[in-house]
Amino acid sequence: MPRRIRPGRLRRRLAIAFVMVAGISAGVLALGSYLLVRQARLADSLDRAQTAATFQLVLAGRQFLPLTEDHIAALKDAFEQRDQHVVLVTNGNAIASNPSFDLPIASELRGLVEAGRLGYERLSLGGHDLLLVGGKIPGSAAALYFITLEDRIDSDLTQLRSVLLIGWVAVLVIAGLVGRLLAKRTLEPVARASDAARSMAEGLLATRLPVEGQDEFGAWAASFNEMAEALEAKITALSDAQARERRFTSDVAHELRTPLTALVGEASLLREHLDAMPPDARRAAELLVQDVTRLRKLVDELMEISRFDAGRETVRTEPVELAPLVGAVLRARGWDGRVTVEGDWLELSTDRRRLERIVANLVGNAVEHGRADVRMRIGRDGRGAFVEVTDAGPGIPPEHLPRLFDRFYKADPARSGGGSGLGLAIAMENARLLGGNIEVSSELGVGSQFRLVLPVTQRLPGREGPVSPAPEHEARHLPEGGER
Amino acid sequence: MDERVLLVEDDPSIREVTALGLKGAGFRVTTAVDGREGLARYLHDPFDVVVLDVMLPSLDGFEVCREIRKKSRVPIIMLTARTDTVDVVVGLESGADDYVTKPFEMPELVARVRAVVRRSQAAPEETTLTVGPLEIDPASFSARKDGHDLSLTATEFKLLLELARRPGQVFTREMLLDRVWNYDYLGDSRMVDVAVQRLRTKVEGDPARPALIKTVRGVGYRLERS
Repeated sequence: MPRRIRPGRLRRRLAIAFVMVAGISAGVLALGSYLLVRQARLADSLDRAQTAATFQLVLAGRQFLPLTEDHIAALKDAFEQRDQHVVLVTNGNAIASNPSFDLPIASELRGLVEAGRLGYERLSLGGHDLLLVGGKIPGSAAALYFITLEDRIDSDLTQLRSVLLIGWVAVLVIAGLVGRLLAKRTLEPVARASDAARSMAEGLLATRLPVEGQDEFGAWAASFNEMAEALEAKITALSDAQARERRFTSDVAHELRTPLTALVGEASLLREHLDAMPPDARRAAELLVQDVTRLRKLVDELMEISRFDAGRETVRTEPVELAPLVGAVLRARGWDGRVTVEGDWLELSTDRRRLERIVANLVGNAVEHGRADVRMRIGRDGRGAFVEVTDAGPGIPPEHLPRLFDRFYKADPARSGGGSGLGLAIAMENARLLGGNIEVSSELGVGSQFRLVLPVTQRLPGREGPVSPAPEHEARHLPEGGER
Repeated sequence: MDERVLLVEDDPSIREVTALGLKGAGFRVTTAVDGREGLARYLHDPFDVVVLDVMLPSLDGFEVCREIRKKSRVPIIMLTARTDTVDVVVGLESGADDYVTKPFEMPELVARVRAVVRRSQAAPEETTLTVGPLEIDPASFSARKDGHDLSLTATEFKLLLELARRPGQVFTREMLLDRVWNYDYLGDSRMVDVAVQRLRTKVEGDPARPALIKTVRGVGYRLERS
């Protein structure tokens, strides 16, 4: 099972990146424009104040000099009437035209003005932002400072600030929504491809991706589909070839059956008349009889293999006692003198005939290849019941072990023996049909061990059926008594 | 021994060698190459045993078997081409007494043919048995239930007779194979099951709920004492 990957992480990352890019751009733009506007407004205000101040200073020089008490009062009145507050500095005294604007003038500015230059200063007083522009009245030592209220600029800028902030937040929100949508759209093909790959892995080889648009994902989907197509074609071809091969095996076996039946009948008649034959013909007839037996075994095994392939094999389970079964197999084949059996009494619910076939095959191999005695052990462990067959033969080279249960596989091609090379394959098929397995271990020069492992079913007290039923392959129940 | 055997087999080699084997064993053999010819020959001449291939052109072995069974209880042995359970069961259900799987050796077939012949021969020394509503007469090879003739085949009759010899006793499938079919463990215990099934359809009022021939779970069968 591949590691489950939490979907959505890439999507979230994409959306966040999108929001960040949008937020930073909008932020920089807003801040920049705010600063520009502020700068422009302040410069404009100063410019106007300076122009006005220059003009007013000249006028004041003409109208109110010399600065007598009367002239000073007139000057104050004249400015106040025009809503222009001023501060007059003469002989070191600062006289404000409006008492509420009696402000301290920074000495720096004063110095600048006394040197005959036009100077300005921005300051706030009582919640107001003020611009103070001062200059010397031409033809006198007195200086006049003009006060401009810049409250309007400040409130405009405050408003601009909030508008920009709201706009920026809106941009962020919209970017978030759009980013999510975009990320989802962008990554949708990835999710689809991931689903498609998974369903291909599960064996749905006809899975294809929709090819949408001319973008990279479209190209990717097209190549994915190409790959899927190639894979499907390959696998279909392979399974077709396998099916053909299996059908061929089955056909061959069936076609061989009829001539083989004639051969077996003929050979059995021939065997009864061996004594009446001249020696040469007799030997040939003996060999013929032997070879017919061999051929019959091979065809039988081919038939059996093709029945396994067609899935037509059925399992008839019944209670089977393991040790008596093994004993019967050994006696029936005359092996009881060469094989020692040890183990426990065990009862299984399994198919007697199949179990007999497996045991006969394993013991037969051991008797054939194992020079000395063959040992068998019957028992039970955590995985189930087992029948172990150990021989003291030459052993099997390790490179042959993985393919030992393949059809027609012979570990030693030189030693063709009597076997068809199908025996172990059939034993394995039978073991699997019974829900079990055959394991092999071998050491060169020491011997080999084959171990048949079978599932054990148990009855719980008071329960009828098995707790873990053996695999039911029973295709057809045999007719039996109604109450059985 | 001069029993007449009808051999129906389409493959010429198998037909010839089988006929040779049966003749060598002392039977008189008549051959037929397909189902229709086999049936025609059977209807024309009397035979003691029919050996019938399953896969036959024109009329298959099961059909021939059913047709013969409509008229006669002659012992029939089927030659099945496969070890297929379905084939075996269908053959036995259509009324065959026994089956031999191809390929077979001649001594095996001869033994089977002899066994069915022996089964079909009456045992005149025995007296009539009565178990409940059943009346079994080995001398005339007939069985009656409540006075009505049951028209059993040789195998069915022999099976009922064996069960009736010891009413109430349980017979295992192996015992029945040995005593009815006359061979030991070589046989297939499924034959016993199918034969019991067929016997029940003739003997029982309701074959699905047998009152006379009871199954003893995991052991075998017994005939109710009465």
